Amino acid sequence: MMNKLYNWIDERLDITPLWRDVADHEVPEHVNPAHHFSAFVYCFGGLTFFLVMIQVLSGVFLTMYYVPDIINAYTSVDYLQYKVQFGDIVRGMHHWGASLVIVMMFLHTLRVFFTGAYKAPREMNWVVGVLIFAVILGLGFTGYLLPWDNKALFATKVGIEIASSVPFIGDLIKEFLQGGDIVGAQTLTRFFALHVFILPAALLGLLAVHFIMIRRQGISGPL
Amino acid sequence: MAHDHNNNEKVVYIGDSRVRKVQRTNIPQDYSAYPGKTEAFIPNFLLKEWMVGAVVLVGFMVLVMSHPSPLGYPADPTNTSFIPMPDWYFLFLYQFLKYGYVTQSLVMFGAVLVPGVAFGGLLLAPWLDRGKDRRWYKRPVASGIMLLTLVSMIYLTYIAWTHYEHELEKRGIEPEHIERARLIKEGQINAGATMVPEEKVPLVATDEEGYEILNNSTCLTCHGTEIEGSSFAPSLRGIGDKYTADEIHDIIVNGIRTMPAQLDDNLNKGLTEDDLRVLAEWLAKQKAPTE
Amino acid sequence: MSEHTTNHHSAEEHPKGKKREMSRRQFLNYTLGGTGGFLIGIPLVWNLRFAIDPLLQPSASSNYVKTVEESTITSTPTSVKFTISQVDGWYYSEPKMEAWVARGADGQIYALSPTCKHLGCTVNWAPEGHSNEFFCPCHGARYTVDGKELAVASAPLDEYDVQVKDGYVYIGPLKANSRV
Repeated sequence: MMNKLYNWIDERLDITPLWRDVADHEVPEHVNPAHHFSAFVYCFGGLTFFLVMIQVLSGVFLTMYYVPDIINAYTSVDYLQYKVQFGDIVRGMHHWGASLVIVMMFLHTLRVFFTGAYKAPREMNWVVGVLIFAVILGLGFTGYLLPWDNKALFATKVGIEIASSVPFIGDLIKEFLQGGDIVGAQTLTRFFALHVFILPAALLGLLAVHFIMIRRQGISGPL
Repeated sequence: MAHDHNNNEKVVYIGDSRVRKVQRTNIPQDYSAYPGKTEAFIPNFLLKEWMVGAVVLVGFMVLVMSHPSPLGYPADPTNTSFIPMPDWYFLFLYQFLKYGYVTQSLVMFGAVLVPGVAFGGLLLAPWLDRGKDRRWYKRPVASGIMLLTLVSMIYLTYIAWTHYEHELEKRGIEPEHIERARLIKEGQINAGATMVPEEKVPLVATDEEGYEILNNSTCLTCHGTEIEGSSFAPSLRGIGDKYTADEIHDIIVNGIRTMPAQLDDNLNKGLTEDDLRVLAEWLAKQKAPTE
Repeated sequence: MSEHTTNHHSAEEHPKGKKREMSRRQFLNYTLGGTGGFLIGIPLVWNLRFAIDPLLQPSASSNYVKTVEESTITSTPTSVKFTISQVDGWYYSEPKMEAWVARGADGQIYALSPTCKHLGCTVNWAPEGHSNEFFCPCHGARYTVDGKELAVASAPLDEYDVQVKDGYVYIGPLKANSRV
């Protein structure tokens, strides 16, 4: 049944090469943790992606309850965490997942750095990777404000002050992030838009480029 | 026209607007220097990778279930006692910018140059470190700088964190999210409850002498110009439900908990001791309306 | 590359009727599928249960709201406005509601919802040109004094539960019309 359906689609769209390309390529032994245990360092990239997917999943579901508004943000988070079944788990996945993504990404970056994998011809992929790094830190920063508790508010105030200390354009950055004269209603909606639409879109785009380049260039050879 | 197509073709197109046939070579990466040491991505390699993923997922879910994510009290911009803390991965930057020599005369150096050079260096690493060698110990400059950065980041994070802990201990503060989780556990806070807007208890007897005395007293400094309360002093509206006139008088004269004695300050403001007695009696009349 | 044929190809190579043994590759594929299912399923289960939670919550029971004096109610429906305390997730509000309250032929006081069963407009009692019936201005739906549909609408007006206590009418939750 499934075979027939697959063949029917394949006859029309010729989809086999699309996934055979991904499925059939050979992976060398030196990145395989089953061969050398030390090769587990090559898993960090994949784990980062897996955790990012968990972030996307739990984030999408959190927006079913969350309201980006200074009056309702806190109460909606409080409600979804304590009154909705498994709300503590879903919010916990998003909260702890965020930290874990950063840990994994850090380890992945260090692995690539210390194995010299960014050297020619993979310079461009390294640059894309560093951009992903920045986007994920941005997601962490914007997401921190959303529960709208004291910790969120004051951490964001500090963060925006740091950004505003950049000479010449500091005040512009501050105003762009804040939206108004204070960290308030307009900041929250802005951070929400950045956190939920703009940065994730940038992240997914960069990840696609990251992976396409890996397929093009293959994994760097053993040391 | 494409009517004379070859019937052996797998894909048969009708008309002119056909999808161009892409010739995919599908030649795997050449690891021929390491013969027999490769395996297919699916299923062999991916299975191992996903096994690692499954282990990580189990550990992750254990963490999630055993540690509820923190939530403090609603953001209050007038809260002055809150110690701001960024998320842990920004702590190093936060701590770095605290140092005097970075923030004052050398703001350019601290806030822009150092983080900018660090990030730029990371971004441009492939062009800064152009040697052929990939082993970390064969490129001591690059590895050295990275290790130095790592060590200083860990050090700065550690300093920032211990400073924060120390500050909490010194000021006797229990972090909000911990306090709130405790109070929820003790049943003192009904977490997630729908917020029913509190109705302001109206003032009564505003035509009496006591109200005039109130407006000249020191009470308003902390309890608000309409005695509606502030972030550190409770509302005095409906205070008559809680205390008698004598008790209120005692609180004004001697203070209570964090509230200092107000006798001298009020006398200095031109009120008399009798005024305070009248004021206490007037405040005792402030009861919430019963319906 | 030649050994990397897909499952259904290798399955077809076996003669029919003979018990097929699972190849190493098939085994790996099944294990891979299982692991993948685990990786997707575990996070998804919590999230899905989280998302459908409102379906599984018991519906909140609404309280009776004290409205007008019983003695003012006649057989002609009168509009009674009342305010209910509504808890909607984390949001609390006190929306104003309306009911057409009347005393039926049996002497019982009843209250009808003004929401037209056609498309949800608000019906009026006996506006000009429509004596002795509820009339909906949107599409001309009409109902009897008991709320029974006469035209356009396909169902009678909903009814509020009503209690009479100490001379006052208390209006409660909505229910299907029990008078027609």
